[in-house]
Amino acid sequence: MSLHHKPSNPLNSIFLPPSPYQKDIFSFPLCLKYFSPSKMTIEDHILDWLADSVPFFSSPFPDDSYNSSSINCYQWWDENQDIGQDLINGCLSSSPTTVSTKPPNTSTSHHLTPSDLTKKRKAPDDTVHKPSQTQQNQRKNQNNQSRNGADKSSGAVAGVTVMKKSVGNKRNSSKATGNNNNNGNNKEGRWAEQLLNPCANAIIKGDATRVHHLLCVLQELASPTGDANHRLAAYGLRALAHYLSSNSSCSSSSTLAPVTFASTDPRFFQRSLIKFHEVSPWFAFPNNIANSSILHILSEEPNRSRNLHILDIGVSHGVQWPTLLEALTRRSGGPPPLIRLTVIAPTVEHDQNAETPFSIGPPGDNISSRLLSFAKSLNINLQINRLDSLSLLSLNAQVIGKFPDEILIVCAQFRLHQLKHYAPDERFEFLQNLRKIEPKAVILSENNMACSCTNCGNFDTGFTRKVEYLWRFLDSTSSAFKGRESEERKLMEGEAAKALRNEGEMNEEMEKWCERMRNAGFARKLFGEDTIDTARASMRRYDNNWEMRVEEKDGCVGLWWKGQPVSFCSFWKLGMKSNGG
Amino acid sequence: MAMAVDNAFNGVAVSDYSTSTNNSNDDFHDLFDSIMSIDALPYSPQVVEIDGGTNCNSPSNPAEGREEEEEEFRSLRLYHLLMAVADAMFGDHKSRELAQVILIRLNELVSTSHGTNLERITAYYAQAFQDLLDCAAVSGGGPNKPHHLHRDDHSPTDVLAAFQLLQEMSPYVKFGHFTANQAILEAVADDRRVHIVDYNIMEGIQWASLMQALVSRKDSPPAPHLRITAISRGPSSRRWIGTVQETGRRLVAFAASIGQPFSFHQCKLDSDESFRPSGLKLVRGEALVVNCVLHLPHFSNTSPESIASFLAGAKTLNPRLVTLVEEEIEHGPTIDGDYKVQFLDSLERYSAIYDSLEAGIPMKNRARGLVEKVFLGPRISATLRRIEQPQRAATAAEENCLWGERLEKMGLKAAAISFANHCQARLLVDLFNDGYRVEELGSNKLVLGWKSKRLLSVSIWASSSLSSSSSSSDSE
Repeated sequence: MSLHHKPSNPLNSIFLPPSPYQKDIFSFPLCLKYFSPSKMTIEDHILDWLADSVPFFSSPFPDDSYNSSSINCYQWWDENQDIGQDLINGCLSSSPTTVSTKPPNTSTSHHLTPSDLTKKRKAPDDTVHKPSQTQQNQRKNQNNQSRNGADKSSGAVAGVTVMKKSVGNKRNSSKATGNNNNNGNNKEGRWAEQLLNPCANAIIKGDATRVHHLLCVLQELASPTGDANHRLAAYGLRALAHYLSSNSSCSSSSTLAPVTFASTDPRFFQRSLIKFHEVSPWFAFPNNIANSSILHILSEEPNRSRNLHILDIGVSHGVQWPTLLEALTRRSGGPPPLIRLTVIAPTVEHDQNAETPFSIGPPGDNISSRLLSFAKSLNINLQINRLDSLSLLSLNAQVIGKFPDEILIVCAQFRLHQLKHYAPDERFEFLQNLRKIEPKAVILSENNMACSCTNCGNFDTGFTRKVEYLWRFLDSTSSAFKGRESEERKLMEGEAAKALRNEGEMNEEMEKWCERMRNAGFARKLFGEDTIDTARASMRRYDNNWEMRVEEKDGCVGLWWKGQPVSFCSFWKLGMKSNGG
Repeated sequence: MAMAVDNAFNGVAVSDYSTSTNNSNDDFHDLFDSIMSIDALPYSPQVVEIDGGTNCNSPSNPAEGREEEEEEFRSLRLYHLLMAVADAMFGDHKSRELAQVILIRLNELVSTSHGTNLERITAYYAQAFQDLLDCAAVSGGGPNKPHHLHRDDHSPTDVLAAFQLLQEMSPYVKFGHFTANQAILEAVADDRRVHIVDYNIMEGIQWASLMQALVSRKDSPPAPHLRITAISRGPSSRRWIGTVQETGRRLVAFAASIGQPFSFHQCKLDSDESFRPSGLKLVRGEALVVNCVLHLPHFSNTSPESIASFLAGAKTLNPRLVTLVEEEIEHGPTIDGDYKVQFLDSLERYSAIYDSLEAGIPMKNRARGLVEKVFLGPRISATLRRIEQPQRAATAAEENCLWGERLEKMGLKAAAISFANHCQARLLVDLFNDGYRVEELGSNKLVLGWKSKRLLSVSIWASSSLSSSSSSSDSE
């Protein structure tokens, strides 16, 4: 396949100052890739590109242990997920000078130890009670979901076996370990919310004694580096304390916010996003759907010479687009003559508590120049226009510079729920404005969860819903990182945790979004079969608790974790004129 | 009025929990500071202590105040964690997972073998909760499952050492035995034959002192013939029977040595530990006394059902006297399954017991640890089982009332404790630390307490008014 022979190395040589050392590192994994028995998807390849590109941003190579190790790890990912993970952890906890160029079989077992020592203090299985080993095991099984990554012995065993198996077998084995799950609505393995939600409830009731008691207990159990429950407790505790302190005269000066996108280094930020894409479909899945849908629209367009204009209202920070660009080069007839990318950057509120999670990147993060370079290397004519201080509500054809003959596609991901839906209904207003721009298609992805705003319920109701959201994120992310701690994980989780204390974080369920879209004058468009197939195929690389569901009613595609909805993607074209004022 | 309770939990935690009902967010101020800095510090038990010591309210003076404050802070933490486990185990929204996580945390913080009283008590509670969790996991919550946990099997030398210490350094053993014995002596003063049915005989030390008293009575007819029937467990636990037999041999030998006419019998409980009165060999003309000691030093691995069946069965025999030694539990309304009153009561009680032991036996004594391990740990387990019981078996509120109250409901009459008996109890307790107190409750009950906390009581009961002579029963 041409894809496989597409020279990744030339890309490197374009952007990378040649260094024999680095070349060495790259060549080995690439070889593996060529001989891999598995059929690679486009997605795989592009993520490799992104991974390759990480060092472009890095400081002189050997000085940065993160970069040096991650290059290797990302390259490994597809062939040897588990080993790759071990390497990451091993590399992270080893000294910067040890660049891991060893073949996996020598590194696996050694690298397990340091990460285990540092990451696992809170995993309940470690502080075992001697008396009853069997019961302990039973409990362990019950709790396996939240802890499976933290189980050191089985982790080590899995790592070893995977090396000997083919990719196909590995998938099976990961299914087996991931499958003692609790699909459905039960709350097994979840204890943090049993302290957090009662505490929110006690706050509403003004039961200071109980609030105090629960906060004390939470404080004892919370840990930002434990399993998903400990983390949820830590973030929840912080949010509750924040809520209480902001409602009283006492303000804490010693507030130490968790790591968030905005507070991190741009290079590390990029690397974390890429890493997260590799291990979790949380964003990769909607991105995948969106890209496939854009391709689908173009394929329906007989006139190959029309320009493509993408309106990006999302949280992907550009990570989404290289995949699309590359796919466009493989289109028969080549890429459109001009691709315009209009990025609606979130308006910085100077109030972290009002920001949508994942929306604000660090200052100095400039994906545009990278994308432009990449496009250039593919002979794609790309224009990027970033609109920095544009409120979503003031969107119109002029501001985005719409040209009459171009194919305008709107890609809205995880941003619109920030708009009010009640008194005034900003969401409807926005969608109506969007309708007036008359895009060819809209791809809307949102969290598929009940609203947590104060109009839809008390503080405690909203808090409980946010806790639910964060739990799904933390639980799935824990699985994604196989229970291991890493800086990337910390960053993603810290950013997600913003949702807990963000009063503007107002999700809405899929049905309501769809209804709103129809009312605003959009009509459902079915996802292409190729879109569905690609999406389904992409799910194979992730934890087995992830699931893709195609909804009958609106033709939406849902992403589910352990039988619970996480997000949905919907596809729209212009319909009847809006039936609202 | 009751003096201020100053044991570990009462002083700080309990009062704090139950009295602060004001709705001011300022209460949380200190907490915020420590919460907000949670990430700043490596996660370890010490962290919070340090934090607690440096919070904004701390008196800016000397190390002593600070130490005290740290101690108090630590007590509070343990208290909150214990309450949270109890809530997860017994509360409205039960969560075994939450309970397990808290227990793991507690085990990181405390150990039964060292630390302050409070820390060791907490550790025993944690252990007891863990047992409850484990038992439920194994048996699926069968209510009658005997809890023969390994840690209850102590070596005989340990048990002996602990028992001696308890006997010599605290009034807990003698108070029950002496008061019961005195009541028995008074009740059978004119009888020629006395039959005592003892539910929980253990080493039989209570009867050695009774025999001595019987043979040394002045101005009385010769010592009556004494027959003791020890209730023993069913065939399932042979060790127990062995112990009872040994106890019998020892008592027979002792009686012979002092010239007390004596015979010893056993009566086995059924396999479900219930008591059949027909299993007793009764002799016409004997004064029948039923003795039931449910407190230190007696082990507590008897199920409430078994005790209930024994007391009910004993009642049908029209005993001359029933002597009952039991824990003085505070029992609030338990109909709605509110475990909190009982749980807090038990915390206070064990805190008081530990403190009282501390006053008599400094912790550096190895045997002190044995007392806790052999006697108190299992009792704490039993207490938690009792709190859990009504929830599991749904056998209604009466499960948790005092056994004495149960006897009264069965129709037994309170028998008056004599002035002499009362005085004897006071004299006994005066031999120990000032903190021990004797209190008369009603006419038939003496309570031993530590400071203001009531701990155990002896109550005496009769089938009919005590003055009516020789009640004789005639089964068999």
